[in-house]
Amino acid sequence: MAVRAIGEYKFPSSSRQELYGDDQLVHVYWKHNMFICAPSCFRVPKAMPWSAFLSEVVYPVWGQDPDFDPATAQFAWEVDDASISPSGDQSLESLGIGHKSLIVANAA
Amino acid sequence: MAAPRKLSMKQRYAALTHDLDWDFSYVDNAEAYPYTTFEGIKIHDWSKWEDPFRLTVDAYMKYQAEKDKRLYAVLDSFAQGQGHLSLADAKYLNAMKLFLQGVTPLEYQAHRNFSFLARHLNGPGPRFAALCQSQDELRHAQTEIHTLSNYNKFYGGFHSWHHQHDRVWYLSVPKSFFDDAVSAGPFEFMIAIGFSFEYLLTNLLFVPFMSGASFNGDLPTMTFGFSAQSDESRHMTFGLEAIKFLLEQDPDNVPIVQEWIDKWFWRGYRLLALVSQMLDYMLPRKVMSWKEAFELYFEQQMLGGLFKDLEYYGIRPPKHVQHAIDEKEILSHQVYWTLYQFSFAAAFNTTTPDSEHLQWLAEQYPDTFDTLYKPLWDKASRMVEGGGRHFARALPQLCQTCQIPMLFTEPGDPTTICQRHSIYEGERFDFCSDGCKWIFDREPEKYVQAWLPVHQIYMGNCGGPTVPDVLAWYGLQPGDNGEYAGSQEALDWAAWHTTSHAPAPTPVAGN
Repeated sequence: MAVRAIGEYKFPSSSRQELYGDDQLVHVYWKHNMFICAPSCFRVPKAMPWSAFLSEVVYPVWGQDPDFDPATAQFAWEVDDASISPSGDQSLESLGIGHKSLIVANAA
Repeated sequence: MAAPRKLSMKQRYAALTHDLDWDFSYVDNAEAYPYTTFEGIKIHDWSKWEDPFRLTVDAYMKYQAEKDKRLYAVLDSFAQGQGHLSLADAKYLNAMKLFLQGVTPLEYQAHRNFSFLARHLNGPGPRFAALCQSQDELRHAQTEIHTLSNYNKFYGGFHSWHHQHDRVWYLSVPKSFFDDAVSAGPFEFMIAIGFSFEYLLTNLLFVPFMSGASFNGDLPTMTFGFSAQSDESRHMTFGLEAIKFLLEQDPDNVPIVQEWIDKWFWRGYRLLALVSQMLDYMLPRKVMSWKEAFELYFEQQMLGGLFKDLEYYGIRPPKHVQHAIDEKEILSHQVYWTLYQFSFAAAFNTTTPDSEHLQWLAEQYPDTFDTLYKPLWDKASRMVEGGGRHFARALPQLCQTCQIPMLFTEPGDPTTICQRHSIYEGERFDFCSDGCKWIFDREPEKYVQAWLPVHQIYMGNCGGPTVPDVLAWYGLQPGDNGEYAGSQEALDWAAWHTTSHAPAPTPVAGN
C-alpha cells in the first residue's frame, strides 16, 4: 500500500548501499549467546576476505564475552538464512554477503 | 439601559466557540481546509463533535495559572531547601534524565501539531479542543523543563537534552515515533497521538514516571504530575471523542481507523520499552513491576474495558497485541541489559543490580528472571569484581521501524533474537518483530527515509569515525554516561551524605 499523501510521496532510502562507496553494512548475530545483547552492524569493504573479517572485525567484538576464545571457536555459518561453508580467502561479496545481509553464527 | 443578560456556562461556551464560526462565501471550503480529505476519512457533519469539557479561554487561563502558581511555589521551596539531597538516591535521576531527553521534546512536538489541528480541522468544536490541548502541551514542555532544571545544577545528564533528542541513538526512538505522527494527516495524528498515545498508553507512560517520582522523594516532578493530571484527563477525553466521532461519521472510516490503531498501538508499545526498564531497573525504590503495570493499565483497563466498548463500532483489539502480552515477562530485562552495555554512549548511567534488587526481580518475574537473566548479571558482576565492567564493542543492528537495537526475541523463544526483513526496491530492511515489519510493509516509502543512528555514524554524519567523536557530537560531557558505581555523581552523593560537615553541593561546572 502506498502512503496517502497530499502530493507525490517518493524518497530514496537513507541507508542505501551507494552512500557507503565500496563498503557495505553487514549484520552479525551469534545465535543464542545472550551475553551479547544484540546483533552487531559493521561497515566493511565488499572485497574483504572472510578470514580478515572474522579476525579483525567480528572476533574482537565478541571478546566482550570473557568465555569467548577465538583460537578454539567453531561456528556453522548462515547468510540470509542459507548455510555457507566459507574459506578464509573468499571475499564477503563472493560469499553472497550483500548490503545489510545477516550473518548468523551457530556455535558448534 | 437594561442589565446584560447573564449567560449559563453552556451558553457562554457556545457563544465563545461554535457561534464564532462562520461559513465562507469568499473561498471554497476545500481550499480553506486542504488536509481533511486525502486520508480517505469521510466526515458528513462536523457539528456532531461533542465537547465534554466546555472550557472557554478565560476559564482555561484561570485554571492553568492557578496550577502553575502552585507548581512554581513547590519548585522554589525545593531548590531553596536543597531538596535534591532527600531523594532516595542520585541513581533515581537516571529515570528523569530519560524523561527530559525523551518525553519533554515530544510535548513540544504535540503542541505544534495540535496547533496545526486547531487551524485545519473543519469543525469549531474539535478546533477549539485542539487549541486547548496545544496550549497544554506547551505548558507541559515548559513546566517539565523548569521542574528538572534544578537538578541540572548538581547532576550530569540534564544539560543538553534538546540537542541530544535530535542526535543520540536511543532518543531516535521517541523522536522518530513522533516524526511519524506529525508527518501523517490530521486524522491519523488524532488516532496516533490523541487516541493511542494519550488514551490507550498514557497511563503506562505517566503513572510509572510520576509514581516513581513520589516513591523516590522527587516532590517537584510529582507536583508537575498533579499539575498535568487534569489536562491529561481532558486529553484522554479528546482522544476518545476523536475516535468515536470518526467511527460514527461513516462506516467506511472503520477499517482505516482500525489500521491506525493497529499501527499506533505497536509503535507506542515499542516506545514504552524504555518505560519498562525504567520501572524494573532504574528506580531505587520500586513502584510496581512492568508486568504489573502492563496488566493493570493495559490488559485490564484497555483490553478489558475500552475495547469492549469499541466492539460496538466494529473495532477489535490491536493486531499485534498478543505479542505484547507475551513479552511482559521478558521485555524490561532485555532492554536494560542492552542499555547497560551501551550506556557509555548514553546521557545516563547504568549499573549492575545489587542482591536486594535481584531478589525483587526474581519475585516479580518467577518464570523468567532466575533462569534467563540472573546468570547474565552474575557473569557481569564477576567481571566487575575482576575490574572489567563490560560494554558493547560494536554498534548494534537496528530495527528500521522502531529504531531500537534488535534485542527482542522470537515469540515463544526467549534466547533467539527475532529477525524479520523485507526487500523494497532491491534493498533489505530489518525489523525486530512482526509488528514493525507490518508497519513498514504498509508504507515502505515512509520508513526507507529513517535516520538510523548506526547507519548515520557509519556514513560519517555524526561528528567523526571514533567513539569520542560521536560522543562529543552528542553533547555528552564527562560524568553524563557509563557506569554509575564510582561515577562523579555517585561520589558527590556519598560525600554530601556521609559527614555532617560535608561541603554544600556546588553547581557542576559547565551545566
